[in-house]
Amino acid sequence: MNFAVEIRTKLLAPVDRKGVREGVRTMAPAGIAIAAWGLVTGVAMVKGGLSVTMALIMTVAVFAGSAQLAVLPLLVSGAPLPIVWATALLVNLRFVIFAAAMRGYFVSMPWKQRLLASYFNGDVGFALFVRRFSDDPERGTPFQLGFFYGAAAVNWVSWQVSSIAGILLAGLAPTDWGLELAAVLALVAVLVPMVRRLPAIMGVVVTGVLSVALVHLPLKLGLVISVLAGVTVAVVLEPADGPAVPEADAESMT
Amino acid sequence: MNATTNAGYMAVAIVGLALTTIATRASFFMLPSSVNLPARVERALRYAPACALTAIVVPGVLTRHGSLYISVHNYQMWAVLIAAGVFYRTRNMMVMMAVGMAAFTVLRLYA
Repeated sequence: MNFAVEIRTKLLAPVDRKGVREGVRTMAPAGIAIAAWGLVTGVAMVKGGLSVTMALIMTVAVFAGSAQLAVLPLLVSGAPLPIVWATALLVNLRFVIFAAAMRGYFVSMPWKQRLLASYFNGDVGFALFVRRFSDDPERGTPFQLGFFYGAAAVNWVSWQVSSIAGILLAGLAPTDWGLELAAVLALVAVLVPMVRRLPAIMGVVVTGVLSVALVHLPLKLGLVISVLAGVTVAVVLEPADGPAVPEADAESMT
Repeated sequence: MNATTNAGYMAVAIVGLALTTIATRASFFMLPSSVNLPARVERALRYAPACALTAIVVPGVLTRHGSLYISVHNYQMWAVLIAAGVFYRTRNMMVMMAVGMAAFTVLRLYA
């Protein structure tokens, strides 16, 4: 018991219980969709050829559904590791923006607490938190932190339970149901809300055309080149007075 | 590739993947407050995830054995297009997945 208390006080900031409850309540409706997404990711990892052990380690250690699904075809084809990591990094770069937007609420914490909190800062939690607190004059209150941990707990549990279930049950699903399609659809669900304005649309179109045209290049270099070209086009088209924080979308997943 | 026989490759891959999550999520939480995200850099960061996902999804759906495969028989392509349209309208992931999988199954069995 003392050990548990010590861990809690060292790794978690002091919180207001009402905040925790509101965080849990606010996140709960999204929990079902997160669980569906986790299930698809779990099944897809094993169907893609990862061993059950590797898939379990991956879901807990990586904890980033979009990146996991995006690198899956690369891992299955034995792509060079720098390409695998670069792809995950590109997909995860949105978390850098989240961290920059959220740091004000966590800045007074000791570094261990900050590091643990950052691990939990996924898409849906970020979106709900910013929507709820961006107008608060004070940042880093026990109520806000409680909300963050409450929402994060729902997110983490729904994701991990469903993902682990998917990994363990994958063997029971027949291969010809088009489950790789479910993995593609899960990525489309993340992609669609990101593509709203002209710069993003043009960037995605350029990337899409180039990625198909360059599919023959060795070492998956076509992927890297098409992404760099797409991002360049989008940045060039972006008006200088764009919004400071990306529009958060609570419906898009992990 | 049989992944179970390449446990070493997978293990190293997973370590690197976990580091990309931690590094990006922790980034500005751990940096000193004096370090800020320049607007120019932020703009580039904003578009990278969408482009990276596109570079994975589009060739996966529109190519087969390394060549372009746009055809009435590419059922996966039609299912993805239908599902994307449904998601654009409803923003409901469960509905779009159900519609996409159903469209694929119907096309595969009856088209």
